[in-house]
Amino acid sequence: MSDRPTAAQLLEARVQDAKVVGSGEKEFSFDVRTQDMEINFGPQHPATHGVMRVLMRTDGELVTGAQPHLGYLHRCAEKIGENVEWLQYLPYTDRYDYLAAMNNNLGYSMAVEAVMGIEIPRRAEMLRVICVELNRIGSHLIAFGTYGLDIGAFTPFFYAFREREWMMALFEKICGARLTYSYIRIGGVFNDAPPGWLEEVALFCDTFEQKWPEYYALLMENQIFVKRTANVGIIPEAMAYDFGLTGPMLRGSGVDFDLRRDMPYSIYGEIAKDKAFDVPVARGEKGTLGDCWDRTWVRMVEMMESVKIVRWCLAHIEEGPVLGELPKTLRVPPGEAYVGIENPRGELGHYVVSGGDKVGVRVRVRGPSFVNLAVLEELLPGSLVGDAIAIIGSTDIVVGETDR
Amino acid sequence: MDFQGIHDRLLANGAPGLLGVDEPRQPDPEDKKDKGRFGDAFVLVDPAHLAGFLQVCRDDEALNFEILADLTATDPAVDDENLWVNVALLSVKHRHRLAIKSLLPKAAPSLPSTTPVYRASQWHERECAEMFGITFEGHPDPRNILLPDDWLGHPLRKDYEFPKEYHGISCE
Repeated sequence: MSDRPTAAQLLEARVQDAKVVGSGEKEFSFDVRTQDMEINFGPQHPATHGVMRVLMRTDGELVTGAQPHLGYLHRCAEKIGENVEWLQYLPYTDRYDYLAAMNNNLGYSMAVEAVMGIEIPRRAEMLRVICVELNRIGSHLIAFGTYGLDIGAFTPFFYAFREREWMMALFEKICGARLTYSYIRIGGVFNDAPPGWLEEVALFCDTFEQKWPEYYALLMENQIFVKRTANVGIIPEAMAYDFGLTGPMLRGSGVDFDLRRDMPYSIYGEIAKDKAFDVPVARGEKGTLGDCWDRTWVRMVEMMESVKIVRWCLAHIEEGPVLGELPKTLRVPPGEAYVGIENPRGELGHYVVSGGDKVGVRVRVRGPSFVNLAVLEELLPGSLVGDAIAIIGSTDIVVGETDR
Repeated sequence: MDFQGIHDRLLANGAPGLLGVDEPRQPDPEDKKDKGRFGDAFVLVDPAHLAGFLQVCRDDEALNFEILADLTATDPAVDDENLWVNVALLSVKHRHRLAIKSLLPKAAPSLPSTTPVYRASQWHERECAEMFGITFEGHPDPRNILLPDDWLGHPLRKDYEFPKEYHGISCE
């Protein structure tokens, strides 16, 4: 446990110290009188990870109220979904969570496939899972790199980008793009892996496994980092449920739940059956269960689990087709489906409604960042201003997804 | 639990506002115009009782839907009389999902807020309100969330007309 008093204790001490003056107002027995101040944080601020604005009410160093304002990056993704053909919408999915574009492609493709009821070739499923897990590694690398950056640890960021660069080079080889892939598509994947690609992925896994302890030692065991994050921004289990948190945010509060293992989709069922990967669940190692350190720890350990999944796929992949035979103009039969998959940030849900036409009736995106961000209204009041950055960073939001 | 089991449990509990179910079906081979219905099965719920219904889903031990994964709305067509309110629930303990649909007349698009049951629905309802013009009675913070405060119209309605300009910025 950290010996520093928590924000709640500070607030309590403040109230205890206050004495009631003649007019009935409370006066604080501090040598400097403080007054409530409204601080505008963002929209252009490096620690908001995009363009997000938080209005904070502060009393000295204490945050007493917080109101996130979003919409600066709203690009009408859902309206576009009602105006373009099913396949044409795919590139737009890349652009909500641009750090995990493969996962978005997969979520949308699976939702459309759920309405169509089509089977995916086995090799395509394997390639999908390899790409999705590599992208998860890349996304978590950014998550912990920029989180360190937010609270003053510069070095891990450069280490994180070194490996991410290789991951992006791998994606460039398989689909030609570095950030917005549109590689996973309805019916399978766009094309087969080029010669030697799978071997390079295996090499990446080996290298990454060697490098990972460096990150862990650099950030997670760093005493300054531990002091800044342990016992800060605690989300108890009940609160996590109430706000609908998913993914690392939920596991960071000690809930043992991962859609890949517990409600498997694609070939994750087989991988989970082989017990090829574990689900890291926070235990409150450095402080209280559900604090910022726990959430970061979950992301950190998850990267190694993704490596295990990729290895399993590399061992089981077989030759075969990678794209089912589909007509050029896709007509999805009438129906509707909600499909949720495990994105690096939580459950990415797609609710699609088809009227039997080549253009959809409704494409709804349930972005995990949007839902996870809502918890700030509850979490920030009572924290210190300095901790506010640590708390916002630990939610690991991508503004492209909160605003869509 | 599968969909049938959840539905039976809801019936046994007397969940308020439960109107029926809609399950996917294959097209009728005799009727050429019938294309069938594919995808998920869902339960139909009276919007006036949606909050009470969700409370039963959350508190019943066999259902135990701790998480409201999604709350959204759909405008099926310009000439359709109803909007849909779609809810997706997720149970961590029992590892099952439930899809809920409420038909809401476009003439009076209003229903009680579900925020007292799940705090998660607070932002989803704000988004529905601005995008579809649905009023959630008793919502604690009924401001726009993604759109500017002075935005006119409800963009995800099928009869929405795209603005020609916004604060002197031409949109054409």
